Amino acid sequence: MVEILEEKKGKDGRPIFVIKKSDLLEFMRQKKQEGFDHLSLITGVDRKDYMEVNYHLYSFSKNQYIVVKVTTDNLTVPSLISLWKSADWEEREQYDMLGIRFDGHPDLKRMFLPESWVGHPLRKDYDLNNVQYINMDEYGEDYATFDPGDGW
Amino acid sequence: MKTGETGILTTTIDKALEWGRSNSLWPLTFGLACCAIEMMAVQGSHFDISRFGSEIFRNSPRQSDLMIVSGTVTKKMAPRLKRLYDEMPYPKYVIAMGVCVIQGGPYVKGYSVVLGVDRVVPVDVFVPGCPPTPDALTYGIMTLQKKIRGETDR
Amino acid sequence: MSNLVELNMGPQHPSMHGVLRLRLKLDGEIVREIEPIIGYLHRNAEKLCEMDYFCDNIVYFDRMDYVGAMNMEVGFLEAAEKLLGVEPPERAQWIRVVAAELNRIAAHLVWMGAFGLDLGMLTPFFYCFIEREKILNIFVELSGTRQQYNYMSIGGVYQDITPKIIEEIKEFIKQFPKKLEEIANLFLKNDIFLSRNRGLGVIEKETAISYGVTGPILRASGVPYDVRKEEPYLVYDKLNFDIPVSQKGDNLARFMIRLEEIRQSVKIVDQAITKIPDGPYFNPKAKKSLMIRLRGEGEVYARTESSKGEFGVYIVGDGGVKPYRVHVRSPTFKNLSIIPAVAKDKMIADLIAILGTFDLVFGEIDR
Repeated sequence: MVEILEEKKGKDGRPIFVIKKSDLLEFMRQKKQEGFDHLSLITGVDRKDYMEVNYHLYSFSKNQYIVVKVTTDNLTVPSLISLWKSADWEEREQYDMLGIRFDGHPDLKRMFLPESWVGHPLRKDYDLNNVQYINMDEYGEDYATFDPGDGW
Repeated sequence: MKTGETGILTTTIDKALEWGRSNSLWPLTFGLACCAIEMMAVQGSHFDISRFGSEIFRNSPRQSDLMIVSGTVTKKMAPRLKRLYDEMPYPKYVIAMGVCVIQGGPYVKGYSVVLGVDRVVPVDVFVPGCPPTPDALTYGIMTLQKKIRGETDR
Repeated sequence: MSNLVELNMGPQHPSMHGVLRLRLKLDGEIVREIEPIIGYLHRNAEKLCEMDYFCDNIVYFDRMDYVGAMNMEVGFLEAAEKLLGVEPPERAQWIRVVAAELNRIAAHLVWMGAFGLDLGMLTPFFYCFIEREKILNIFVELSGTRQQYNYMSIGGVYQDITPKIIEEIKEFIKQFPKKLEEIANLFLKNDIFLSRNRGLGVIEKETAISYGVTGPILRASGVPYDVRKEEPYLVYDKLNFDIPVSQKGDNLARFMIRLEEIRQSVKIVDQAITKIPDGPYFNPKAKKSLMIRLRGEGEVYARTESSKGEFGVYIVGDGGVKPYRVHVRSPTFKNLSIIPAVAKDKMIADLIAILGTFDLVFGEIDR
């Protein structure tokens, strides 16, 4: 049984369900059966001492929109890739930008930045003064480096 | 030439070469971001870059001698831009189009944008604007032509 | 079996619409595996949004979908105005609709020209750009610039629409449908074009929904989903227009949907231009000297229909003058993710044609 910790309305009038992280997959499966067939957006928010992940769901048939919210303090959230294929790239993007790990994602790697980039830029404690550069190795793969080296 | 003085002949050939070179610039199709759409507009019917002999946009760097860097150069793109520049045959020229290419533009505070393409490749003409209008890019190309012909632009 | 050839396509490639890189595994001419690699235009807009005032953020949104910047501004302001509690006056809303729809026409024209180029047709490109220049000339008078307008601001628009501009728009709308038919005939009476696109790249309805595809691509697959109808913003509920839907889901269907959308946009502009009411064009609560003092708290998600699909902006405010977190649901990011499924086991030439119908804009995918 899924326990809904809090149900409120956002400033835009969309219902927000706050649930426990362990209930996420079960809750989402229920919602998908209810007709929410469109996973629109996954947003991670860095709240400094914990991470918040918002899922925006839409139902084409019922024209309804809901937001599901979970919080995590150890940077892991279950992956929804088994329910919606669109979760794949969204989760990779959030992993890249905020470092949230999605358990069960088969190919969790960075979306925009190269694999060796240090830090996750959208975190509040990301240091912008620590300049990194990207170089290309002989196979055409990118790697991040602090030393600009040749060509820069 | 009647007097038999040497030197006149060579400068004339140089001049002829420079003239020919300046009027048949073949740009590389290298659209990066927003400015690329304005670069397409320059190719299009209204502004028509072919009046200046530059209408043949080549897709291969080996066939082109002008690189119009149109749009933000990110750090991930910079090594590839360098490689494309290296693949172009001499003599080669670079036009930096748009303020992002010149110094980072609106993204100057960020972490992933190169603050000026002249840190990666040498630039001949800077065309400011966000994005520069097609007129500005045409003027940039004309400035480059003058530069190739060795005329000073005052 | 490992006699597959690995091939890198892009980031510099004439038909990659910017800086898409595809890592292909080829069996002869047939593409067996596709891995899109993106991020070559990652300009950290979301991070920069957190560092700027609400009213300045619009700069980054203009540069996301750079061929349809007015639609991006509408999308951002829908969210930001809800968060800040500033309502744009009626006149501003109508002006925004006119600007957004004109820009949708321009964006689709760019797509059409570029799609022609992908398939080796040079002529439509020139025809499309002549018409686009006419729209841009209107925008130059309206906002002062050709592409990144920064025209709409929080609580209204930056400057008023004048009777002269209205006359120009009416004139454009009068001559445009005839020109559009000319452009459409260049495509649709071309046998090569038809045979290269009919029945190619079919996207099933279920696949499209599962991958989160929206916009013309989803409508071509048979789902009549358009935010302008489902959740009307601005004054779209007072306008009469149709949503084109096709059941076929192939390349040609996507082309026809976009063509019909241009016609519908013409219809919308035609209606809206006569209905612009008198009154102020910005909310005095958000006049320029007060704009940077606006504070927002809470979280807001607003979705709008850009020329590419559902464009959503999610803003979290913490009560300060700057947003705490901004996230963009970019339609082309989702649309691109379906490419490995659609273009599998097709020829390379077909892959280019399929990519062409997706209307990729990299400012928006990479942000």
